[in-house]
Amino acid sequence: MWQYEKTLQYPVDIKNPDPALAKVIISQLGGPDGEIGAATRYLSQRYSAPCREVQGILTDIGTEELAHVEMISAILYQLTRNLSMDEIKRSGFDTYFVDHTTGIYPQAASGVPFSADTLQSTGDPLADLHEDLAAEQKARLSYDNILRLVDDPDVRDPIKFLREREIVHYQRFGESLRKVQDMLDSKNFYAFNPSFDKPAKRR
Amino acid sequence: MADNEKQKLLRRLQAVRFAVHDAALYLDSHPACREGLKYFREKRELCEKLTKQYEDAYGPLTASASAAEERFDWVCTPFPWERGES
Repeated sequence: MWQYEKTLQYPVDIKNPDPALAKVIISQLGGPDGEIGAATRYLSQRYSAPCREVQGILTDIGTEELAHVEMISAILYQLTRNLSMDEIKRSGFDTYFVDHTTGIYPQAASGVPFSADTLQSTGDPLADLHEDLAAEQKARLSYDNILRLVDDPDVRDPIKFLREREIVHYQRFGESLRKVQDMLDSKNFYAFNPSFDKPAKRR
Repeated sequence: MADNEKQKLLRRLQAVRFAVHDAALYLDSHPACREGLKYFREKRELCEKLTKQYEDAYGPLTASASAAEERFDWVCTPFPWERGES
């Protein structure tokens, strides 16, 4: 069960619209390493996590990713306010505009729509957690690349916050992986699926 | 957000809500850390205080926090994606 809170996790207040930037930043909404994929990945994987701690981490990080979906959407919304047709044509935003006007649609910067093809939920917590660690690094590097492309401090500020969160989540998933590995015993040295091959005792 | 006091209070509230959330993530993997638990309780207490202060002055942050009698105030205040509202 979820409840919406009427505040962003971190403020977004962008003075100058810039549709060319929106075309790039949209990848963190619906791109291969974007926030919708992150939320979907963790909230889907949590059912096969073998202990309460890891169920909690996947639930709480997955929930935070939903707040990041909202922050990225707010950035896109504010970057595409009050555009003239001339700005839309000159910025290259016309190829997005023709399908979506200035609505928020989850796609990659390349125009490919969001797809669950970019994520996995394997039923195997070891495989899932390794994916999660990689996902946080890929999202971090996408934010690094966005910071290389953006000068406007109003945009950089919330992007830097989001980048830092990837680093914290990576840390928490590292602890989760260690926790699951610690639950394996000498008979499962080569790490078979502890959720399927050898169900953990309820704790 | 024309109201400077409102924005100042919202900033404090966002900061402390963030502290509660980040501490909760930490406690997920360190559930027996007494120092972490103490930090969490302190921040949560402050968060509850500031949330009440904000909602009393500027309207509910969640639909269920509304106590309206005349008109449902949840849909009378701006959504946070508007400039100056987050």
